[in-house]
Amino acid sequence: MNDHVPGEMRATRALTPRARHPLEDAGLNLRPSSRKASSALLESAGEEATTSGTATLPDPVFSCRDVNVSYGTKLAVRNVRLDIGRKEVLAMIGPSGCGKSTFLRCLNRMNDTIPGARVSGQILLDGRDIHDRELDPVTLRARVGMVFQKPNPFPKSIYENVAYGPRSHGLGKGPAALDEIVFTSLQRAGLWDEVKDRLHGPGTGLSGGQQQRLCIARTIAVQPDVILMDEPCSALDPVATARVEDLIDQLRQNYAIVIVTHSMQQAARVSQRTAYFHLGNLVEVGATPRIFTNPRNRLTEDYITGRFG
Amino acid sequence: MIEGHISKAFDGALAAMHVRVIEMGGLALDQVREASRAYVEWDAARAALVVERERTINAYDVTLDEEQLTLIARRQPVASDLRIIIAFSKAVGELERVGDEAAKIARTVLGSVRGPGAATARDARHLGYLAAALLRQALEAFDRLECARAADVLAGDKELDAEYAAGLRRLLTRAMENPSQFDVAVEAAFVLKSLERIGDHARNLARHLQSTRLPFHSETPAA
Repeated sequence: MNDHVPGEMRATRALTPRARHPLEDAGLNLRPSSRKASSALLESAGEEATTSGTATLPDPVFSCRDVNVSYGTKLAVRNVRLDIGRKEVLAMIGPSGCGKSTFLRCLNRMNDTIPGARVSGQILLDGRDIHDRELDPVTLRARVGMVFQKPNPFPKSIYENVAYGPRSHGLGKGPAALDEIVFTSLQRAGLWDEVKDRLHGPGTGLSGGQQQRLCIARTIAVQPDVILMDEPCSALDPVATARVEDLIDQLRQNYAIVIVTHSMQQAARVSQRTAYFHLGNLVEVGATPRIFTNPRNRLTEDYITGRFG
Repeated sequence: MIEGHISKAFDGALAAMHVRVIEMGGLALDQVREASRAYVEWDAARAALVVERERTINAYDVTLDEEQLTLIARRQPVASDLRIIIAFSKAVGELERVGDEAAKIARTVLGSVRGPGAATARDARHLGYLAAALLRQALEAFDRLECARAADVLAGDKELDAEYAAGLRRLLTRAMENPSQFDVAVEAAFVLKSLERIGDHARNLARHLQSTRLPFHSETPAA
């Protein structure tokens, strides 16, 4: 499994990549087919799985190594090794139950709140372990914001929805500064023009698409580094979806965005990198244009062409 | 290769398109054979038939184009599905031009008074045979969707190009020896060129097939 592939380097979870096949060290000159078969055996014996494509990046915002998540006895995410770049949209795709949402929730320790969930491995945010005891999960979640499938504005005014976070995190001292944050956040979320005359009206009175953009405004109001999105458009109509996707594209200039989506077209439209999960494994990750034109792994190919069954 | 989708309707649409492309290819191949035979035997009736059938090829081009656009709009294909539809689309373009070249040869027969001499006819027959063989090979590769077969076509086209160059040299020599036949020689040069172009289209078909990268080769074994 250590054949060098030109172009992208293959990622393996072996800590020290072997330059030679172990059986060649034993003096065996194997035919390629036997080499392949025997290395597959060796890998399954050593629990060493591989991901096709480039999983690591220089200077990532998130660096995840050997991440395993289990719910009770069920292993939901296995040995995921993945970096997330600054100012990129990473899309995570895969069939239901493949572990993509579970992995997403690891990134801001949302799994901590789920009884029976155990996360192991290393997740570094800007080089710092997010499981560090010194690190308050609330602070972490301000740096790593999240937008959910169903828009969930607080039952408060539009203004309060955006101002609540910065106020409780001690940002925006004084009403003028808070006004400024609310204005900037709503504007960045592309919602300002639609709500500027009704800032004190209820957030729940907005349309679904507007509510979702309000949730995005609320997320960016606390100046996160990363925004996680768990199927942010699945409850929206195509027009609202297009607006949110356009917004994602603009937000990419300032934030890293990780989006879980069931729509492969959406992944193809909005992301720069795509990660394909299958049965808890990260099967393939790479530049989105490559994944959708020339996937390297049969599982990825079968899933994106609709042959999964 | 192109089957196995969850949507059987998509499988069916792709398979039907594949069959239609090969059908169009079969028609184009027949046109090449008939056109070169019409020229070699100086058979106006046969040439007229080729010109007549050119319309059928063009109709295939139009409908397949439409079907491909529809399939892309409805299915938003990606990866090998997308590459194969694009390859089909390009193949249709090549076959349409093969049809054009065949019709051009046939029109030479209909539009001129004098046919080729024995030596020129022999060269044209040989080149026509090579071009048709190459096109058949390319179509068979396309039929099986096996990229490995494309390499033979690429090699065959080199041979055809060499034969064309040699045939053209012989034609020029004869034209210089017998300037009164110059008009016939010019027409013959165009016919040889058309046959050489048909070989190029066969080569392009092989290249389009290669761009599908079929059969899919998975980098890592499915775990």
